[in-house]
Amino acid sequence: MDAIYVENLTKKYGDNEVLRKVNLKIEEGEFYALMGPNGSGKTTLASIMASVRSPTSGEIRIYGRKPEKAREFIGYIPQENFSSPILTGKENLMYFAGLLGYSKKKGERIANELLNKIGLSKDANKKVSVYSGGMRKRLEVATALFPGMKILILDEPTTGLDPSARRKFLGLIREVKGEKTTILLITHIGADAELASRVGLIDKGQIIAEDEPEKLKETSGLKNVINIETTIKSEKVANVLSSFSEKQKLLETDLGYRVYCKDVGKVTPKIVRSLDAIGCKATKIETVRPSLEDVFFKLTEKTFREMS
Amino acid sequence: MGQITATLGKTIKEFLRQKTVLFWTIAWPIIWVLIGSFSFTGNVREEVVPYVRGSIAISMMSFALMTAGIANLPGNIAEDRERGLLSKLMSMPIKPWKDFVGRILALLAFSSLAAILVALVGFICGAKFSYTMTGAWQSIGFLLLTSFASAGIGMLIGTFIKHVHGAIMTGVGISVVTASISGVMAPYSSLPELLQNFARIYPISSVNSSITYLLVGEDYSGYNPLTTTQTTLTIIISILLFVAGLIAYSRFCWRKE
Repeated sequence: MDAIYVENLTKKYGDNEVLRKVNLKIEEGEFYALMGPNGSGKTTLASIMASVRSPTSGEIRIYGRKPEKAREFIGYIPQENFSSPILTGKENLMYFAGLLGYSKKKGERIANELLNKIGLSKDANKKVSVYSGGMRKRLEVATALFPGMKILILDEPTTGLDPSARRKFLGLIREVKGEKTTILLITHIGADAELASRVGLIDKGQIIAEDEPEKLKETSGLKNVINIETTIKSEKVANVLSSFSEKQKLLETDLGYRVYCKDVGKVTPKIVRSLDAIGCKATKIETVRPSLEDVFFKLTEKTFREMS
Repeated sequence: MGQITATLGKTIKEFLRQKTVLFWTIAWPIIWVLIGSFSFTGNVREEVVPYVRGSIAISMMSFALMTAGIANLPGNIAEDRERGLLSKLMSMPIKPWKDFVGRILALLAFSSLAAILVALVGFICGAKFSYTMTGAWQSIGFLLLTSFASAGIGMLIGTFIKHVHGAIMTGVGISVVTASISGVMAPYSSLPELLQNFARIYPISSVNSSITYLLVGEDYSGYNPLTTTQTTLTIIISILLFVAGLIAYSRFCWRKE
């Protein structure tokens, strides 16, 4: 049975069509990542699945039921840090246990088990305000791990976390995932989406590609990418580098650029010389395998930066 | 542990752990009881000083209940919305009315604590009341009306003012301004006619006058607020405000987009 089934789902806010006839099937036990830039509609789609928003038209089923009839199965983690900072970690979980109808005794037992599972037992009685971003997110994920919850919807859970906290957090997600637990990860970070068994790329309210991460890269036709970190970033540098890239398209990153070309061996020395000629040093230049951001860029010719 | 108990427990802990909430709801009225009891009684005959202090304590109890409902409750609602808790709750198998009841019970419990502490300080400062048991019970009923009217206004603020600081500051502003112009923080008799009319319509003020009338006497309330017409008006407006707040909260805070 499909854990999540979406057919021709459309969502409009006035004239603005945020989702356009989206079709999606996620099987029970699958780890699915929906990846797209800001404003692509991914959060709207997740919130409709979690019955926080209503669709304008189309069909959506969670284990064969309408989302509002399947709330007991869904553990939805919105983007914001919803835990109360002035309560302790344990008090927060006890609050959710109470909301789900557990007795005080049973709620406390489950809260302790969950705190142990997410590695926060030692900090259980500390106020959430003293937790790090990663600890707080882990605590919030625990609210979606109460018994009976089958689907975990994580909306941009790693936003604001440093790389180390991000990796720890994603490691935890893999650890807590039961065989039958379905995970939907909403993200704009390719490295996060790589963990999923299947990735859907969403742009302008439509899923434009969907497959296993490696297959997506293979079918994109991208072989190698030159990742360059430069001492300066400017239009002049970008113009020089784009002349080496396929279709003169260049992906800008935090510390430099990504250049797409077929003959990496030949092009790399030329890039170094050209940068030298304009007074820019490449602090790092490496050939890397394409990422999911590269695939998205290839498909849409848009970077996440341009979209956000 | 049901949803109501869980919401009650969470909300009351949040009230008790926030310094600004404690200051505006408990410390501020107590400070005014202290200032009023010793500074505003200089020209008053010695035998009536305890009753003046009694009326000041009652006013500050009203102010405490008012601030709890008009500022703390919307602050709590706005904070839950801003940090995404309301979205999280909407995705869970829970009932909005239970969330509402839990919040109101927490407000009543916290307001009662604030009122008791203010009254205690009033007693320590020498406040005196001349009441009957019936009058005392009626006063408790009127205090509940203050909480309901304040909660109604608070829910309206919490529903329509989205940001936490905006909601709290609006609530504090409304509390302070309306208390000042409606006879809660100033004697009814000193108000101009227009504001005296407002004091009779504004339920928190008319409830304050009713309690003062019952526990201290008509000289201190400035008029008889226990006439059938006035009492009916006070009860109806209090309930209307509460119902308006309830409708706004359940329709707009829990509305699916």
